[in-house]
Amino acid sequence: MVLEATMICIDNSEWMRNGDYSPSRFQAQTDAVSLICGAKTQSNPENTVGILTMAGKGVRVLATPTSDLGRILSCMHGVEMGGEMNLATGIQIAQLALKHRQNKNQHQRIIVFAGSPIKYEKKALEIIGKKLKKNSVALDIVNFGEDEDGKPEKLEALLASVNNNDSSHIVHVPPGQNALSDVLISTPVFTGDGEGGSGFAEATAAGSGVSNFDFGVDPNVDPELALALRVSMEEERARQEAAAKSAAEEASQHDKGEEAQASYSQNETTSVTSTEKVADPMDEDDALLKQALALSMNVPGSDLSVGDAEMSEATNGHQELAMALQMSMQEGSKDSSVQSDVSKVLGDQSFMSSILSSLPGVDPNDPNVKDLLASLPGQSELQEKKNEDEQAEKDDN
Amino acid sequence: MSAAESATAIQRNQVDLLDFIDWSGVECLNQSSSHSLSNALKQGYREDEGLNLESDADEQLLIYIPFTQVIKLHSVVLIGSEEEGPKTVKLFANREHMGFSNVSDFPPSDTAVLSSDNLKGKPVVLKYVKFQNVRSLTIFIEDNQSGSEITKVQKIALYGSTVETTDMKGLKKIEDH
Repeated sequence: MVLEATMICIDNSEWMRNGDYSPSRFQAQTDAVSLICGAKTQSNPENTVGILTMAGKGVRVLATPTSDLGRILSCMHGVEMGGEMNLATGIQIAQLALKHRQNKNQHQRIIVFAGSPIKYEKKALEIIGKKLKKNSVALDIVNFGEDEDGKPEKLEALLASVNNNDSSHIVHVPPGQNALSDVLISTPVFTGDGEGGSGFAEATAAGSGVSNFDFGVDPNVDPELALALRVSMEEERARQEAAAKSAAEEASQHDKGEEAQASYSQNETTSVTSTEKVADPMDEDDALLKQALALSMNVPGSDLSVGDAEMSEATNGHQELAMALQMSMQEGSKDSSVQSDVSKVLGDQSFMSSILSSLPGVDPNDPNVKDLLASLPGQSELQEKKNEDEQAEKDDN
Repeated sequence: MSAAESATAIQRNQVDLLDFIDWSGVECLNQSSSHSLSNALKQGYREDEGLNLESDADEQLLIYIPFTQVIKLHSVVLIGSEEEGPKTVKLFANREHMGFSNVSDFPPSDTAVLSSDNLKGKPVVLKYVKFQNVRSLTIFIEDNQSGSEITKVQKIALYGSTVETTDMKGLKKIEDH
């Protein structure tokens, strides 16, 4: 977020009528200038930008350094092409404009768009560059458009004489598919030595259709939404991994049961996620809980101890648990109507509460847990039974 | 050598103004990035003969030093080598943000042409009346002794007195009784 005053020198000579950059060199340049202005003002609100034209009747300052983006953009309308670019005078007048900037604490920078051939000698350019360096003005050069012999060398010499600690840059943009603006976005001209402008660059990239973010949501714009999307994506992925593993284990035999169970645990997981985002261990436990209950559904009673022992390792070895559960399930016979059985087992609240009490970190008296139990699609008469049984369990424990 | 010269400066109750420099606002135009103003101005660095302030693109240097309080400037010491040390030095009091282009726009508060004695450490006594109320000092080094491309300054020291603290010392003495 360097505090900077920038003067942009636009080439509006006859050479800019050429169409090798779409739609025309001049239009591509204008777009690039608008983007740069936006990037500068966004990276630091106190930055100022000014514009001048180098060709036409003579060098003309369209806007002195200002932070008013609207004024800068509007002053570029109605700029006519003609004449020849006068690089030396342009740079000198830009330097003068910067000298009279209102905030003397701003660093000085000149951005030159060199689209036409350069009629100055290397020596003259080097003298200009030295003067800029002496007054600690940085210079960015955008070499595009006309490709004349010696032009790159002249501009490189100019850059070398100005450059102080890599604060000045040069970019060569050959004509082609990519718009001038797109090429410039990734260069230090935009990013300003690697700081500040990168956020704007990302935003513009998103605006132009290329989204760098997973969900098409910019974390800077809407952090909560991005976070919620990411959390649910991760949970879905974790659950799907477990389901995929179990599906791989089961292979052909219990496919229907897997899907039903998986879908059921998914419903539970998402409902839990929406109600309470806090207790992550609880969510995982619930998913495993459903699996354990499905297991015990097949072989009730005798597998209770097995379920308890396995559930005690729940927080640690989810994958192993899933595998073990599936292996046990293979032993039992499978019913076609799994859904109702699962719900019936889950309705067996006494079993649920005993499982829960054996789980580390889950307090059956926690109102969240109670709500969860109540929300399960158990029959209404079992609600009462659950209350009684919980009492009995507590007495026993 | 330097003890005698610095003794004359201290005699007049002048202090080294190093403590009153507002470092956040110190600037130097046309300095070389590897040989910066700190080498000549900061305690410790300025005593080191190997560390110099050097100019970059040409031989001129423009140094801007703001102070944390108003001071009176009595003399300056500029130490440099025989060939590349500064020669013509112009001092401007209370001119902010000068550039090389406007150094000739107004007359300097004082001008000094440094002799080889000065370059060894003899203080340059300034026109004290011109520096009674100094908030910031601009030192413009116009050229060097031999006319070479690079000017090198080993040490810059400012001697003077402050305006406010003189009174405070007076108050303290009364309190002791």
